[in-house]
Amino acid sequence: MEKMNQTIQKTPQFRVLTDQQIEKIYFSALEVLERCGADVFQDEAIELFKNSDAVVRGNRVRVPVSLVERALKTYPNKITLKGRNGKRSVALQKDHVYFGTGSDLPFTYDRETGERRRTLYKDIVNAARFVDYLPNYDFFMSHGIVGDAPNPLTYDRHQFMAMLEGCTKPMVVTSVDGEGLEDIWKMACLFQGGEEEFRLNPMFVAYIEPISPLTNDRTAVEKLLFAAEKGIPAMYTPCPSSGATAPATIPGMLVQSLAETLLATVLCYLKKPGMPLIMGGVTTVMDMRTTTYSYGAPELSLASAANTDISKWLGLLMFSTGGCTDSKAVDEQAAAESTLSVLNAFLSGANLVHDVGYIDSGVNASLESLVMNEEIIGLVRQIGKGINTDPEYLALQLIDEAGPGGEYVTKDHTYEHWREWYFPKLQDRSDWETWCDNGKKTMLDRVNEETQRILDEYEPEPIDDGIRKDLKKIIDDAEKRHSK
Amino acid sequence: MAEDLGKIAEALIAGKVEEVDKMTKESLDGGVAAEELLNKGLIAGMDVVGQRFKAGDMFIPEVLRSAKAMSAGMEHLRPALAESDTKQAGTLVIGTVEGDLHDIGKNLVGMMFEGAGFKVVNLGIDLKPQVFVDAVKEHKPQLLGMSALLTTTMPKMGETINALKEAGVRDQVKIMVGGAPVTEEYAKEIGADLYGANAASSVDKGKAELGL
Repeated sequence: MEKMNQTIQKTPQFRVLTDQQIEKIYFSALEVLERCGADVFQDEAIELFKNSDAVVRGNRVRVPVSLVERALKTYPNKITLKGRNGKRSVALQKDHVYFGTGSDLPFTYDRETGERRRTLYKDIVNAARFVDYLPNYDFFMSHGIVGDAPNPLTYDRHQFMAMLEGCTKPMVVTSVDGEGLEDIWKMACLFQGGEEEFRLNPMFVAYIEPISPLTNDRTAVEKLLFAAEKGIPAMYTPCPSSGATAPATIPGMLVQSLAETLLATVLCYLKKPGMPLIMGGVTTVMDMRTTTYSYGAPELSLASAANTDISKWLGLLMFSTGGCTDSKAVDEQAAAESTLSVLNAFLSGANLVHDVGYIDSGVNASLESLVMNEEIIGLVRQIGKGINTDPEYLALQLIDEAGPGGEYVTKDHTYEHWREWYFPKLQDRSDWETWCDNGKKTMLDRVNEETQRILDEYEPEPIDDGIRKDLKKIIDDAEKRHSK
Repeated sequence: MAEDLGKIAEALIAGKVEEVDKMTKESLDGGVAAEELLNKGLIAGMDVVGQRFKAGDMFIPEVLRSAKAMSAGMEHLRPALAESDTKQAGTLVIGTVEGDLHDIGKNLVGMMFEGAGFKVVNLGIDLKPQVFVDAVKEHKPQLLGMSALLTTTMPKMGETINALKEAGVRDQVKIMVGGAPVTEEYAKEIGADLYGANAASSVDKGKAELGL
């Protein structure tokens, strides 16, 4: 018989902030927007604010609480992304967690030379292939910035092309400016069946960031306004570094970061209510020995989990961070830091967890790191399965049958349930002798072999020739416009 | 007197800006030579700060406070040092190039240079090449620092160097560049003299280049 007053926990529960703590942070962020405000360096945005209840003095915009709260009511609780493979595979909604890479790394670790060098078009295609192949990755960000494009003002179209070449999954994209985003969106619309269909089946989320503290530059705002106009999902993700561009206390950083986010929610609302805006925040510390913006600090994980708690309280979807490291190499440090942030981001219930595979504090890209993190994400997802206490799982009858001194390895129950365990691909659980016979390989050896195997073997679904022609035309037109 | 200088150095190491400011002025008014104050007081203190920072015993917030103390002391000493022809660290003009609003990195570099006794002219962010040209003409710095955090704004550093060439002032100044996507190789490519990977090493390289 089932007992009364049960509480059953299907998955682990993880929170770092209570509702009351979130209220404190939220009310403080509102205070920031009324008292201090933010700078906005874009004419249309300034006009939109001027024609609203906001108070504008020069480039400084201050926003009353009532306007913020009106804006907050307009954002969707669910955004579904559809890759060029036709699958609506990323359904962003509360506590649904998806993992993906980060973008725009200026350097790539070169497997042949063992050195880091500028990231090239082919590197983006390769990273795209890996993300397409590895099942624990749900979405793709470029993992690098194309360094061999003809013009720095149009590199983003080439970068997106490289992403499309290698990957059929949904994406998060960066762009140079509003015009760049428009071209990329047009390129994506070719796969989704036009601009209207894109609104229901967006292929990507546009990554946009303000400059902390409380500064919004022209190109970022331009992109945000374009996304709002066309209904393109976007995130406006502050990247404060605690102790440098934000207070050295995590709550202080969260307050400032939230004020930056709230300003964007108001701006998008003024442009066109209801755009699919996602909350963001790469919230970490500046290392006080090196001045590095740390991607491996435990504070990154803690502050990001707090931000996710805040996002859920606000009813916004969350773009978070994990699987990254300050280490220059894929080594023990990389493994430890990546694991910590993947686990915390996952447990927090953040929706898009990006920057998986970053090494060298967000400067250097590594395919090996993508492969290692595939395994880490696998481990972590297993924790999310939680513990089932139904009778079948308590296995009372089975224990009785086996009895003292019995065994379980031949039981049907075992046969039926062992596949629910996590089965590692790259971790070694063999005995010493077997390990020696197989060449005493370390995790890194196995990661390297798997990386080479995927590089050699995996081919993604090609792009249709007709679409390829249209994609090329959009890129060529952009080059022509910018060569004048 | 030597005791007083030691106290200035100690206050500087402890990051006591007001004390260093006051003690330097008092010593100078009391007849201690500016050069003496500089070498046995301020620089002696900053040397210890530098050593402790490298050893991992002091951290950026502490170093910056010491640098601020150094800068406060230097304000008093500079006129007297100029009079006595004492070799000074010189002037750094620094700014973020056009199209780029990133501020903090180059500010850190500037503060660290102040800690090394430089006079620092911080031009700000989003600066057209001409602003750098004008500043070089006006301040006659020994060093010019340019920062860019975006790959899209990096080329502006090269354009600024070209503008300095056209204005005929390129050779008057050593040019240092930095920012996350910038490399030693890139610095060479655009014709800069120095690449600063981080604030501390920028100061070391700058001083070495100027023979300090």
